Amino acid sequence: MAHINDVGGLHGFGPIEREEDEPPFHADWEARVFALHLALLRAEVYNMDEFRYAIERMDPGAYLAASYYERWLNAIETLLEEKGTLSDQEPPQPRPASAPSGDG
Amino acid sequence: MAEPRRFGVGERVRVKVANPPWHTRVPRYIRGRQGSVERVHGEFPLPDASALGDADPPVEAVYVVVFRSDELWGPDGHPNDRISVDLWDSYLEPAPREDASR
Repeated sequence: MAHINDVGGLHGFGPIEREEDEPPFHADWEARVFALHLALLRAEVYNMDEFRYAIERMDPGAYLAASYYERWLNAIETLLEEKGTLSDQEPPQPRPASAPSGDG
Repeated sequence: MAEPRRFGVGERVRVKVANPPWHTRVPRYIRGRQGSVERVHGEFPLPDASALGDADPPVEAVYVVVFRSDELWGPDGHPNDRISVDLWDSYLEPAPREDASR
């Protein structure tokens, strides 16, 4: 590894904090990131190893300060940009809601 | 087509020393360290290649390698602790003969 995530054996991080009855997501946006990741994997936009590598390539300071799903989102944005799926020239626009189907 | 399995259960192995700038699943704290193969998971695509977008990465055996605590941490290790790491075949080399008694 040898990237910032490779912290095994380092002192100073303290004990693992266990949360009682921890919910799967602490906020709605985390669940959306989770779903987005699964959708992109399924669509083969990237694979799991590319995803992990994108997390490892984060700026070290940003990596350590980020939460788990913030890292996921960071990796997704990095990969979408690198693969040309998303560019800085195209800020996300809200899409109009689709018409309901089968109303004829 | 998978690469041949170079190691079997019970064999002593040493983790190759390397520092690739790319993605790898070898944590730093086991580089150059020796352990024993406890189990063979099966064959899986090498993440080092897959992470770079290789659509046809090498497929290698993945082993559970167990390291003694003192092997990794010296006197700061705990005698009851063992550390198990899943490692791909190409991460490993045979342990040197002179340490075969460890």
